[in-house]
Order: sequence, then C-alpha cells, then structure tokens
Amino acid sequence: MIVRTLLAAIVAGLIAGVFMTGAQELRVTPLILHAEEFEGEAPAATEQPAAQPGAAQPAAENHDQHSSLKAVSPLGALLDALSPITPAYAHEGEHEEGGIMFGMSRFSGTLMANLVTGSGFGLLLAGVSLVIGYPITLRNGALWGACGWLAVHMLPAIGLPPELPGFPAAELGDRQTWWLATVALSAVGLYLVVLREEIVSKVAGLVLIAAPHVYGAPQPLDISSNVPAVLGAEFAVAALATTLAFWIVLGVVSGFINERFVKAQ
Amino acid sequence: MATSTISSTPLSLSDRLTAGVMALFIGAFLVFGAGLANSAVLHDTAHDTRHSYGFPCH
Repeated sequence: MIVRTLLAAIVAGLIAGVFMTGAQELRVTPLILHAEEFEGEAPAATEQPAAQPGAAQPAAENHDQHSSLKAVSPLGALLDALSPITPAYAHEGEHEEGGIMFGMSRFSGTLMANLVTGSGFGLLLAGVSLVIGYPITLRNGALWGACGWLAVHMLPAIGLPPELPGFPAAELGDRQTWWLATVALSAVGLYLVVLREEIVSKVAGLVLIAAPHVYGAPQPLDISSNVPAVLGAEFAVAALATTLAFWIVLGVVSGFINERFVKAQ
Repeated sequence: MATSTISSTPLSLSDRLTAGVMALFIGAFLVFGAGLANSAVLHDTAHDTRHSYGFPCH
C-alpha cells in the first residue's frame, strides 16, 4: 500500500513533467535561447557535439577557467577552442567536463530533467499531504498545487526572481541556501496560515513567510548585464506562469489518481 | 463532501507517516539532483529546466 501511494505520486509527477516540457517550449525555452546569444560569443555547451570525448576529458580535469591560468600548449589551445565550456558558461569551482548525460539532445535532457523534477515535486507534495493528514483530492488538487507553487516559486521569487543565463547573481551557494530556507519556511508558513484555525498560528505563519525577505536574499554586487532587461522581465513572468500551470496540473492529477486508483483499493 | 482522510481507508497512521516521510526523502533527493546538485553533467542536462523552474543557477 505504501508503494502504491508513492507510485501514484510519481505517476502524477511524470504526467506533470511531460506537460511542463510542452509548456516550456512555448515561451520559456525560446527566451533562454535568446538570452544565451547575449551571454557569450561561443555557442551554449549543450549544443556542442561531443567532440573527442575521450581526449577532451583528461585535459578538462585540470582545466581552469581563470584567464591568468590559461593553458599555453597548442593542444590546450585547440581543446579550448573545441571545449563546450565557455568562460561565460563555466561556473567557478567546477572541475569536471560538462555536457548532457548519455549524449542526449538538449530537448531530451530537458525532458528527462522535467520528469525527474516532476516526480520529485509530486512526491514532496504527497509527502506533505500524508504527514499532515490532509489528502489531495480532485476537488482540492488545484489548491494544493497553488500552495506548492507559492512555496517553491512565487515566494522565493520575491527575493530571487527566475534568472536568465547571463544574469548577474550573487554566489551560487548563498543563493541556494537562501532559496532552500525560503521554500521550507514558506511551506511551513502556508500550512500554518491555510490549515490551522488558531489566530496565533496564522500570525506565526505570516511571520515565517516574511522572515527570509526581511533577512534579505543574497544580491550581486554588480547588476550590469549584457542580457536585455526586456527579456528578463518577459522571462520572469513566463517562468512563474509556466510553473503555476505545472503545479496545478500536478495537484489535480495527484488528486485524480488518489481518488481513482489509490483509495479505490 | 465526506471528511474522509487518506488514513481512513487504505493507510494506517503509522503507514501514512512512513509513506509520507519516504515520499519527502525521495522527492527531495530527486529535486535536489535535478535542480541544485553541483555537478557539471547534471547542470548541463537540466540547464533549461533549472532556469525555467527558477532554481538558483550559474
């Protein structure tokens, strides 16, 4: 029975992930590709065919993106030219060669990542529902989804709006920590505000929701960017709208599967 | 609308909590791997997904 419950959440997540992939292609992905034109001179890593995968790998291990440490040998220069990692695309602290898993296309990689992310969010939503004892049904599925979207996307986006490639941003670790803390606090806060009756709980929930924003999200020191601001504004709206649709589909499908296939047994 | 809960029919309380905690752990693991893990291969595969979900990226 436990397995059945978990499988129901995973199936709902997979369905929502497929939906998300289609929805992304409408607006979000074109904007990402457009922004990458401004990000750097070279094409994005993901579009580069796996040129000499065997040869590129060892050189890339010791490869450092800092310009002062650039490789000087002709082989190094050649590999630099062929390397899918461009300075604009590279991330500090990484020492491994990038590239899409199993040599998949960019679209397949996105689809797979959406399926994994969808299953993950499906399980998290089901997990919260099981732990607090409020089942997800067809009727309240959309509300469950909306709360998931608020906790994971909308409330964190107040401090860290969805970014395009090439946007200025603070140190990655700081942002991830702030993001995770905000998602957790927002989720607990929403539970207290929405599902608890007592006034004290509701006030405490609002305090929890506001706390990370009072603390403040990590911000970049230099906010100049090559990416046009209009693209950023369009992307932020498109990303939030797309994820809202994803979460509502996830909630409704979860509720449908729960009622139809899990409770029926 | 009946006030049935998931625990009422198929799952006992302890089963419900077990399933819930398992779901939270597996779900967090999957979302972390696709969205936050600091691996170049995972990052590049999930690149467009990370951006469109608004995960902190780059």
